[in-house]
Amino acid sequence: MKTLVCLKQILDPEIPPRDFTINRDSRQAVQGSANLVTNIFCENALESALQLRERSEGEIAALAFGPASAEDSLRKALALKADEACLVEDDSTAYRNSATTALVLAAAIKKLGEFDIIMVGREAGDWGAGQTGGLLAERLGLPCVTFVDHIEASGDGVTLRRQTELGWEKVEVKLPLVVTISNHEENVPRIPKTRDIMMSARKPVTNWKLSDIDLTDEDLKTTGDALDVIDLFIPEKKTDCEFIEGDSLDDKIDEFAKRLAGIVQSA
Amino acid sequence: MTLLAALNAADATREVMWNISHSWVMYVLLVPTMLIAGYGVYKQVQKWRSGQPAARFDRPAERIMRVINHVLLQQATLRDRFAGVFHFMLFWGMITLTIATTVVLIQHDFGIEIMKGRFYLYFQSLFVDVLGVLAMLGVAVLAVRRWVLRPKKLVYTDESTWLLVLLFVIMGTGYLLEGWRIAVTNDPWGIWSPAGIIVSKASLAVAGVGTLKTLHLFTWWFHLVIVFGLIAWAPYTKLLHVLTAPLNIYTADLDHGGGTLKQIDFESAQSFGINSLEQFTWKDLLDLDACTECGRCTSVCPANTVGKQLSPRDIILDMQGLLDRSDLASLTGKADGQQPDEYDPAFPIIGATDNLSSDALFECTTCAACVEICPVSIEQLPKIVDMRRFQVMEQAEFPQQMQDAISSLEERGHPFKGTQLSRVDWAAGMDVPLIEDVEAPEVLLWVGCGGALVDRNQKSTRALANLLKKANVNFAILGREETCTGDPARRIGNEFLFETLATQNIETLKTHNIKNVLTSCPHCFNTFRNEYPKLGGNFEVMHHTTYLARLIGEGHLKLDAQATEKIAFHDPCYLGRHNGITDAPRKLLKEVSQQPLVEMEKHGRQSFCCGGGGGMSFVDEPADQRVNQERAKQALATDADTVAVGCPFCTTMMEDGINAVKGDREMAVKDVAEVMWEALEGK
Repeated sequence: MKTLVCLKQILDPEIPPRDFTINRDSRQAVQGSANLVTNIFCENALESALQLRERSEGEIAALAFGPASAEDSLRKALALKADEACLVEDDSTAYRNSATTALVLAAAIKKLGEFDIIMVGREAGDWGAGQTGGLLAERLGLPCVTFVDHIEASGDGVTLRRQTELGWEKVEVKLPLVVTISNHEENVPRIPKTRDIMMSARKPVTNWKLSDIDLTDEDLKTTGDALDVIDLFIPEKKTDCEFIEGDSLDDKIDEFAKRLAGIVQSA
Repeated sequence: MTLLAALNAADATREVMWNISHSWVMYVLLVPTMLIAGYGVYKQVQKWRSGQPAARFDRPAERIMRVINHVLLQQATLRDRFAGVFHFMLFWGMITLTIATTVVLIQHDFGIEIMKGRFYLYFQSLFVDVLGVLAMLGVAVLAVRRWVLRPKKLVYTDESTWLLVLLFVIMGTGYLLEGWRIAVTNDPWGIWSPAGIIVSKASLAVAGVGTLKTLHLFTWWFHLVIVFGLIAWAPYTKLLHVLTAPLNIYTADLDHGGGTLKQIDFESAQSFGINSLEQFTWKDLLDLDACTECGRCTSVCPANTVGKQLSPRDIILDMQGLLDRSDLASLTGKADGQQPDEYDPAFPIIGATDNLSSDALFECTTCAACVEICPVSIEQLPKIVDMRRFQVMEQAEFPQQMQDAISSLEERGHPFKGTQLSRVDWAAGMDVPLIEDVEAPEVLLWVGCGGALVDRNQKSTRALANLLKKANVNFAILGREETCTGDPARRIGNEFLFETLATQNIETLKTHNIKNVLTSCPHCFNTFRNEYPKLGGNFEVMHHTTYLARLIGEGHLKLDAQATEKIAFHDPCYLGRHNGITDAPRKLLKEVSQQPLVEMEKHGRQSFCCGGGGGMSFVDEPADQRVNQERAKQALATDADTVAVGCPFCTTMMEDGINAVKGDREMAVKDVAEVMWEALEGK
């Protein structure tokens, strides 16, 4: 089975709140002291792909769209024994919405060849839009199953387990398709062996510019204009703490209940 | 006395080989004895020599001192008072008896007549007799210990039983021979052999001279056969330690109390970490054969104390078993999986037994209590880390929470995944100078991840910074430029990541032209002091307790005794045991407290780990096997109001442990800097 995993490099979402800063004018987060990490759901996707390969053989390709630094995410995938890696390098620091990302990924995938399963994370830890998987499937003309946390090869297709609000759904799908991967205790990302990390530095990573996949800045402007970020700000965290006064505990409880009732009514 | 007075002491002697004919048989028997024993030693020496190189013959003067202290004076052995004293008696008794036998050899075989006169009376008769009795007493008491008292730390094997029996029989028959010779020859100098004269008198009371002479003859040959038998067998038993222990003590690690972790050449290493005996150094293999099965290491191991699988004794003994000295299953009864029939240097050791299982290896807190207590200088800890390295770097199979810590170190430069704090949050509103704002600071305050990124420790770090300001110290912090020293990565077993972080830190400090580093974290301290120099980072590093003691000593900080609470000090392993610093914090606490300092039973270099070292502070231990709660109980057993600590990891581990088990009792946990700052502020 040939699998392609899309990896997005993002600012470390676990950065302490005090260290997280944004630039309101450019409507972008500022890197500051934050490190660049691979989006966790993308790592879950890679882990799912590795497990699928262990169960039913095949090959894994890793694909990223982002600045040159995104090569680190691909190197880590190579350290975990992905068979090949490709970076579509974005020279611009402009915000790329899900539609743009899907456009670029689809063009790259078409050039990379045929894949049975294309896996993406269910959403990214920066913007959290959760749109890329669906939009990518649309571009490729493939079915898409979302929130998948387990994949099993069966016959000429795959059996997928997807998370829903009420539990799990089991879905049988024919190949090829796009799945978005959610996290589960079964797909906690493994860590690479040190020797494999060292070896990964010597493996090739295909580096394409937009022109290599026949896209122009104009193409990206079309999808980019589909969504406009009007403002970006860090919500102010406010907590008001008030001690309810009263002569006895019962009085305080009564007053507290009245206040609660007031809040419920006004809501 | 009249008889003695009539004799001239200068003529005192006895006939060697009295009553013995055909003594040539002895020499004939000696040949196979020495061949068997020699082969036993040779076989092991060959195995050690097959190990990897290790430089352990430098600084001979220091090494000779170690041998004097720990072999001749038995200092480390005597730390276990009971067993130590009786081993001391056995040790010196056997040495004396061996010298006495050598004297006989010189006289009989080289024809040099030295067994006469005062030397014969004072040494060869009286001294040897008394020391021999002490040795016998030693064997007897150690046998009672083994068979009646049965301490848990010992290994109970038939071999140990036989060795004690044989030693006792050899010495017992020795006294019978001496007594009967005195009786039959009516030795005028017999009184100089007190034990001999008692045997002589007692024997004469029940048997005639003729009977005793015959008994002497048979017993003499019996004695000889047993002695030769023991000599031949010894190298195949734990008695090999008679040779290996002194050698092991001579070749001990002189650099680091806890055992120096090996560096890895990542360009050329065949294996990152160790999973077979052939990958160890010759010293590691010698360690295995130096083990006397005394079990002290396991008895002080914090993980083992709380009921975990980890047992440094059994790690050593199981590997010794694989080195083909003994049958694995009989030693531990826990050999699972396949065992090689004979010595196989490439046999994978991790997982070969329960004791060598990956789970057990990752229970180690790297506290080095095992290394510290070992009477024969075995380095258990570096071997555990060697095997952890294999699991981490070659297999990538180790506890998930340690993996999370490692991933966090890789991605964020600190092991505290999910912390909401930044490196500088603790200093909010305090006006603590950043390195870029200070021209040539006197010291760099290396806050450490534990001091900056854990809520509880912000208070300790602030206290330290306040003390430094009070003393007008020209200091600065790196702030967001600081990253982990790499200690947890190294102890967990990721040497590659350790080197990456270390190299980066050394570079950062060199860029800022830092000479002096001050830290409140003993793990950072240890790394700076003992490990960065090997990577080209030579900085003068001080632990805050040492530095604060100096500030007070030089009068920069005035401290009147103001703390009213009773304080006990918990020695952090990486301060006390690994680096020998136990006085500075105590000096500070004595200075600051109106009450006398309280000591926990286990303190100083023999302190008990808080449970947080070796990456264990990132792991959730099973609820009934928490090292910190064990240490908390030890603290609660004192009448102290406060446990003072000098390590951010100890602070949180001790506080959690005490809160979990204290019941109604109140006990605070404070960093030494906190105790001092509170005293200064009059809180």
